[in-house]
Amino acid sequence: MRATIERASPARTVRRPTRPQLVNWGVTAALLLFVLLALPQLMSLYYVDTMTQVAVYSMVTVALGLLVGRVGLVSLGQVAVLAIGAWVAARLLFATTQPYPLVLLEAGLITMLAGLLIGLPALRLRGLYLALITLMLAGAITVVLATVNFPNGGHGFTGYNGSLVHIPPIRRPSIAASDPAYFRYSVVVAILMFALVLVHIKTRPGRAWAAIRQSEPAALAAGINVWLYKLWAFALASFITGVAGGVLAGAVHYLYSIGFPTQDSITLLAVTLMGGVYSLWGAVVAALLYQFLPALLNNWGVSADWLIILFGVGVLQVLTTAPAGLADQVPKDLARLGRFLRGRLRPRPAAPESTK
Amino acid sequence: MPAWQDFEPFIVSGLALGGVYALSGVGLVVLYRATGVLYLAFGAVGALGALITWSLVTKAGVPGWVGWLTCVAVAGAVTLGYGLIFGPALAKRDPLVKAVATIGLTLILYGVMDLLWTTSGGQARSLTLPTDNGGFTIGQIQVTWTQVIALGAGVVLTAGTGAFLRFTKLGTAMRAMANDRDITATLGVPVRKVEAAAWLGCGVLAGVAGLLLADLVALDATTLTFLVISSLAAVLIARLRSITVTFLAAIFIGLLHDLLTPITSLSNYRDMTPFVIAAIALLVLSRHQVMTQSREEA
Repeated sequence: MRATIERASPARTVRRPTRPQLVNWGVTAALLLFVLLALPQLMSLYYVDTMTQVAVYSMVTVALGLLVGRVGLVSLGQVAVLAIGAWVAARLLFATTQPYPLVLLEAGLITMLAGLLIGLPALRLRGLYLALITLMLAGAITVVLATVNFPNGGHGFTGYNGSLVHIPPIRRPSIAASDPAYFRYSVVVAILMFALVLVHIKTRPGRAWAAIRQSEPAALAAGINVWLYKLWAFALASFITGVAGGVLAGAVHYLYSIGFPTQDSITLLAVTLMGGVYSLWGAVVAALLYQFLPALLNNWGVSADWLIILFGVGVLQVLTTAPAGLADQVPKDLARLGRFLRGRLRPRPAAPESTK
Repeated sequence: MPAWQDFEPFIVSGLALGGVYALSGVGLVVLYRATGVLYLAFGAVGALGALITWSLVTKAGVPGWVGWLTCVAVAGAVTLGYGLIFGPALAKRDPLVKAVATIGLTLILYGVMDLLWTTSGGQARSLTLPTDNGGFTIGQIQVTWTQVIALGAGVVLTAGTGAFLRFTKLGTAMRAMANDRDITATLGVPVRKVEAAAWLGCGVLAGVAGLLLADLVALDATTLTFLVISSLAAVLIARLRSITVTFLAAIFIGLLHDLLTPITSLSNYRDMTPFVIAAIALLVLSRHQVMTQSREEA
């Protein structure tokens, strides 16, 4: 039975990439080069910081999108997972002089362990119950973090010293001390995480997840270890979110537990659904919605509450009419608009069959 | 370990908190059983009603009872409106999708509330019910009428809703729909009307809970909106089915939460109570899971 899945894969036969694929890759590469090289030069420091946050949250949303869109597991506790990653990274950065990439890796792995501890019992539940138990656990983690506090250079296990007057900032990698450099650094980390997700989706786990999402009993009957692959998805999402937490720690220099409220997990799910959970671009759109738009509105002096309202409307719209989110809908709408405009601008063809 | 006297006042406040959790929980269970929707905007509509009441009573000088009725009416109307528009559209979808859709409503209401009643100014609003002033003492414990009403409302509503579901025609129709919506419709039950009644009932309960919580906890959009997360715990323990279990779990959670307050080593962690209890209960209850493919999930 396992062999069936293996055989269904087109990976064995090397296929020549099609023209649309090549165009797609070309556009992606050009966009990435632009973001890495030109974007920090073009933006003010305010927007560089904002885009660093976008890079961080694109990792969080890609992990959540993987869970929701690929495996069909809805987690309402991703901000708590992000907080765990940030906490671990901050603790390690204060306690050791390890190079930054190593800290990120460790933060990811430790968060993954925490995610596994949560996932092992929680994954016995499905659907609504799974979503709600992640919400409950996130609530519990948030309360613990509010009491333990984020490390601020103190000693002991928690690394928190409430009486410190001069709180040292969380360090950044030496090659990326300035804001534009750290922006590039976070984008590179985000690209690596997206690649990790892509590799998973294109290979065996991705096919197993797709089967589980369609129908768990059918996947089980096809010989897929449903439990293992669900846990795998949970672990991968926790790892990526943990790494994102590590990047966040360096980006903001100071972490406070008030920055990770439980309700943000709910908003995060809303924007992830709005961005689109079936494509990786959806994660980028979601992160832009979640971090860039508020900064933009703030700059224009418009209340961010309008954005919350927009997110609410967006969730209802996605769930009722456009399940694939903005990443899918906007190109389609643009294409439709393009066809419409072409139809208007060009003289109407006099072909008789068009008027039947 | 503190002495027994230190715990006494917290028994009363814990019972009151549990009563309001029960109130919210019963509203959520009734709606879930009738329509399959877990109404996550329960806290938000209550908060909206409470804030409107606050504006009416303190700014416009409207008499108190008009304000309270407005609160209940607003919560009922918003809930009913949402149910009429999005209920049928999402009727055939997975319960999870229906629940997430109510997150959309929550965010809209939350945004509107934060826009109209800005919290960043630092001026704390408060909504005091006249029942705060009166009260009596048991032993040395001061009990306010609001606390009595909170627990009483929980008890009365649990009993009342239980009787309603069991003995009335509408309640029977709701129970039938909880089992199978399509067959119920075939039997001639006006499904849409029954659903609308459930939405309205849930909204009215949300308004009452919002009013009581605004007084007992805080009149603040964020707090009230997301307090629903805590009251979800009791509903989860009852597995979204039993009203009696919801009530008992709510009282237990409310009591335990407040009784932890005097214990200094645990006091900071007392807000974890609903989450931890719900998580443990869910995990214990789900030990023997059977993989089913019901029509709803397909």
